[in-house]
Amino acid sequence: MRRLCVFEDEKYCNLYPLTFLRPVFELKCGCTSLLDKILRNYKGAEVCFFVRDYLSPTFKKKFPTAPINDLGILGNSDLLLINGRWLVVDSAVEMSGPEEIGLCDGDVVYARVNRKTAALCSADNIQIFLEQIKSKIKTRSISTDLISYPWDLINHNGRIIEQDFNSLGKSGIEGKFSSFSTVYGEEDLVWVAQSAEVQPFVVIDTTHGPVIIDEGATIFPYSRIEGPSYIGRETYIYGANVREGTAIGPMCRIGGEVEESIIHGYTNKYHEGFLGHSYLAEWVNLGALTTNSDLKNDYSQVQVYIRGGLTDSNETKVGCYIGDHTKTSIGTFFNTGTVVGIMCNLVGSGGILPKFVPSFVWFLNNRFYKGYGFNAMLNTARAVMARRNRSLSDEDVELMRFIHTLTKEERQTALKKGRKT
Amino acid sequence: MTSIEERVKKVVSRLLGINESQITDDSNFVRDLGAESIQSIELVAAFEEEFDIEMDEEAALQVKTVGKAMEFIKKDIAEQH
Repeated sequence: MRRLCVFEDEKYCNLYPLTFLRPVFELKCGCTSLLDKILRNYKGAEVCFFVRDYLSPTFKKKFPTAPINDLGILGNSDLLLINGRWLVVDSAVEMSGPEEIGLCDGDVVYARVNRKTAALCSADNIQIFLEQIKSKIKTRSISTDLISYPWDLINHNGRIIEQDFNSLGKSGIEGKFSSFSTVYGEEDLVWVAQSAEVQPFVVIDTTHGPVIIDEGATIFPYSRIEGPSYIGRETYIYGANVREGTAIGPMCRIGGEVEESIIHGYTNKYHEGFLGHSYLAEWVNLGALTTNSDLKNDYSQVQVYIRGGLTDSNETKVGCYIGDHTKTSIGTFFNTGTVVGIMCNLVGSGGILPKFVPSFVWFLNNRFYKGYGFNAMLNTARAVMARRNRSLSDEDVELMRFIHTLTKEERQTALKKGRKT
Repeated sequence: MTSIEERVKKVVSRLLGINESQITDDSNFVRDLGAESIQSIELVAAFEEEFDIEMDEEAALQVKTVGKAMEFIKKDIAEQH
């Protein structure tokens, strides 16, 4: 039987800080992660993973029986290698077939490799293995959706929610739905899960796409949810205006206005304030009135800080990308295309924040600070996670410590910028 | 030449908005001088800037009084200059 290998290539750093604590295929688009979509297409396949070494201990906890970074396994069976950045929908490559490599703009999207060919390679990492098989197997160019930058996830999100809704195969109202609430548009385009609840005075607008309200989610009064949108498990929507192309949850608390955004689990944006074309990782908390710009006043294309410099997004609508465990104070304002690292504490002072905030810093009164230090940041994370009956494992702490070291230089550069001497 | 002690007091005075004459070595940053949590972060940065030193933030934030801050800073200056 051919083994499925999901791998990260070197472009994971285009998606920093969102990929600091997770493999690239654990990023979300639509109702699920990229990995969930890959596995959905290859049900029952034996799977192995290739991720950055420093992610291996935390990722192993999620897939305890799957081989991770085990190069020895590559020569033991026929393989289907899938790039973890591939947004696989319903047109994934077949598991069986002749040896072949699919390339998109030079990047390996998939590789169907027989055991004998794999055994001829002697690589000490997956990137070298991929290079070696390129010279042994015929390649073909394909046009597909390979996630290269954070805005790709946002741009595809609405369409993928629709596809996920179709894959789900569920519709209708199975849970509680107040008679004082309404579906505006086709009722078949709503799924309210059995343990979900839609309270009075809620409008579900399906005129532009489906709305999925997953198990345990509660939509509180005066909320409006416009499809395509996904409200994840145990998520509470507090009188919010959730606009098209938004995927939230699980376990989020959301208020204010959210448009075309992806919000990972356990992240809160309880209060008023606008979030648009943005991607928030886990355990982020946005204080009341925190707002981001997703469009420049001159309607020009937005530049985003990627891999140490500004990159043209070629997009006019770009919000903010915020790493895990970052918190904002009341009244924090993000500029168009802002990137914020993990475990930051941002205090709004009336102005707009810098377009790049490195990980593990405080920002207040228009300059960067070291804050209370790494251990205090961990303690804050522990306190926050305990509120949702979660905890930081030793592996999580070690990973964060590694990222703290990895990001030291960019942090020191930012800290020095604010100093007069 | 202004002493380290005087410079520390000037920084504290400027940042917390307190007359230098009211700041003694025994003054507790929080209890006597009313420093908020955010101001303690700013104080560490201001001392680093004033004395061109790098302070260990976790250790520095354990310092409770102006006198202890002076000792802490003198030690860092001796090690780093």
